[in-house]
Amino acid sequence: MKDIITIIIRLTLSCILAGIVMGTTLIFTSNAKKHNEHANEQKTMFGLLGYTKDNPAPESSAIHEAYRYVVTKDEALSVGYLVPLADKGFTFITIDLDGNFLAANPVDISQALVIEEKERNKVIGAALGDDTSLRYADKTIIVTDNGQRIAYLLPGAFPGFKTFISMMLALDPSFAILGLEIMEHEEDPGLGGEIEQDYFKNQFKGKSFAALKKLEVVKTPIPTDFLKALEAKKSGMSEADVAAIKEQYMDKDIYALTGATISTVAVTNGAKAIVKKFAYRISILDNVLKEQQIAVPF
Amino acid sequence: MATDKSNIQLVVNGILNENPIFRLVLSMCPAVGISTTMMNGLMLGVAVLFVQVFSSVTISIFKNVIHPRIRIPTYTLAIATWVTVIDLVLAAYMPEAYAKMGIFVKLIVAFAIITMRLEMFACKESVNASFWDGIGMGLGFMAGMMAIGFLRELLGLGTLMGYDILGFKPLLFFVLPCAGFFVVGLMMAFFNYIEIAYKKAKRA
Repeated sequence: MKDIITIIIRLTLSCILAGIVMGTTLIFTSNAKKHNEHANEQKTMFGLLGYTKDNPAPESSAIHEAYRYVVTKDEALSVGYLVPLADKGFTFITIDLDGNFLAANPVDISQALVIEEKERNKVIGAALGDDTSLRYADKTIIVTDNGQRIAYLLPGAFPGFKTFISMMLALDPSFAILGLEIMEHEEDPGLGGEIEQDYFKNQFKGKSFAALKKLEVVKTPIPTDFLKALEAKKSGMSEADVAAIKEQYMDKDIYALTGATISTVAVTNGAKAIVKKFAYRISILDNVLKEQQIAVPF
Repeated sequence: MATDKSNIQLVVNGILNENPIFRLVLSMCPAVGISTTMMNGLMLGVAVLFVQVFSSVTISIFKNVIHPRIRIPTYTLAIATWVTVIDLVLAAYMPEAYAKMGIFVKLIVAFAIITMRLEMFACKESVNASFWDGIGMGLGFMAGMMAIGFLRELLGLGTLMGYDILGFKPLLFFVLPCAGFFVVGLMMAFFNYIEIAYKKAKRA
């Protein structure tokens, strides 16, 4: 009996001690961690748009984020977008499933807090009232240069061969693919894992919206000249040659990775679905913004 | 009971006589699962090295106040604490290393080699000896993982540390999960063979 009491006390004490050590570290590191994650995302985004350290994004360019929500009110579903306004602040626009404008509620949140999902949900919830429930769906990043849209960045995830593959797509204003980056995946190394290689990702580059809509996967080896152009970094091919060869293969389908047809098809269909849905949604959002004359910076 | 080995002997012991993978046959899951490339082996090795040293020293310091009947939960708690701390610190101050090592660090809580070393060594020995034993075990684990990774990466992908060596992929089989068992088994047999041959030569 005496034993069990000392055991309880000692275990409790060691748990508290461990908790203090971990908690203290968390307090000291959490800000730096958040900063890093954000910086990393920004780096990927700029990388997709072709901006690097030596070739930074122009001063006149800006990044705007629109967050999409599924809103339930009185058992009726609607879609909500949290968008920044041209003159400071944010507004939450609700649109019904047929694309008709329902309401626009001003949301009081700062630029620094809006990137944090919890804070954002709380503030939007307060703006809409208690009887509505919210579910965060995804976000769209809109890049502008002098107020003109130059690109969309779409983070998205879809099932791969094993688990979800998450990726970021960059589109130009006509929905042609500017670039594609695999953020996370758990495909087999050497087989499906090759989706993160340049020669696979670059196949998508430059595909127009029309070409993307009927994009299929073919199970033939990649032609040697195309492979060299896709791996321009490795093979040292000149930019003019790369552009010429890529032009030839612009309307071709995606060449499947050896031994990883499922992963290839997953990425192809995933990209297709993301772009198609996005093109539909942004047209509705643009319509509403225009009709209601809501001034947004993008 | 104090060990009669010097610090250097403790380190060498961890790498050769009591190599965690090939001699103690502990932590086989990562040895089979993650050793697909040499870089993976190195990263996991570094992570294990830190956790092993920190946990060994912690347990060695507190060895007199740990109740013998709850020592295993206490070890797990100590390991989990250090894993969390290392994970957080890496994520905050070394984001590039964390991008590569992050997933490995979180796995370490469940590694048999660390708990076993705390039970066999750190809870009986001085802080100094535990520190060097931790370093030896960590380096031994790293060496073992890198050796397996070397073979699997070279034969499976034709690369080493990510650099193209052969220019083609000889046997893709070696990077698939099941090949881990073959590589570990064959390497273990090879090292045992060397040991037997060495002993024979010594006797003769």
